[in-house]
Amino acid sequence: MTEIKVLGPGCPKCKTTYSNVLEALKQTNTEANVVKVEDIEEMMKYNILTTPVLMVDEQIKIKGRIAQVNEIVELLKK
Amino acid sequence: MENQTLVKEICPTTTQEWVKKGALLVDVREKDEVAELAYDVPNIINIPLSEFEERFNEIPKDKDLVMVCKGGGRSLRAAGFLVNHGYTNVVNMQHGIARWVQKGFPTKGNTSVVTGSDSCCSTSGCC
Repeated sequence: MTEIKVLGPGCPKCKTTYSNVLEALKQTNTEANVVKVEDIEEMMKYNILTTPVLMVDEQIKIKGRIAQVNEIVELLKK
Repeated sequence: MENQTLVKEICPTTTQEWVKKGALLVDVREKDEVAELAYDVPNIINIPLSEFEERFNEIPKDKDLVMVCKGGGRSLRAAGFLVNHGYTNVVNMQHGIARWVQKGFPTKGNTSVVTGSDSCCSTSGCC
């Protein structure tokens, strides 16, 4: 199953990204394991500087800004 | 501030001691933030977090480094980034310029921009 991670300290932009992920999954009728990563140590392991970060299967796809629903939909199609 | 073990953290008062011993402060706030209010110490460089990946090589590896920002969150991530890139003499200053100002340590600019808030998340490059 696809694993999607949203990394960020829990700020509004991170929450929006997380919501957008859920919406994209709903729109595409896709199942995925969605994980919020708010732990600073885990974020640092990924060398994250700017948040939020969207990861799909351990690959950084979008960082430093909100991932839009349509962008996530496109990522899920790949 | 944050529960982590990768980066050593020090308070603003200890940072003063590091400064006296010649440590270099690395301010990762954005340029507009620094223009409003800056740390007034002898050795400091500003590399905004939004430019950090491209410019971190400007930071010397042979100096003691104290990473600073507004509230201590962005600088912690930058410090972790440097540790992951082989920097060994790097620490993070907890609570950022907000606590620095509260302590009455030297600054240049308008201190009212940080009083009343410890947040680091109001600007770009953070979250």
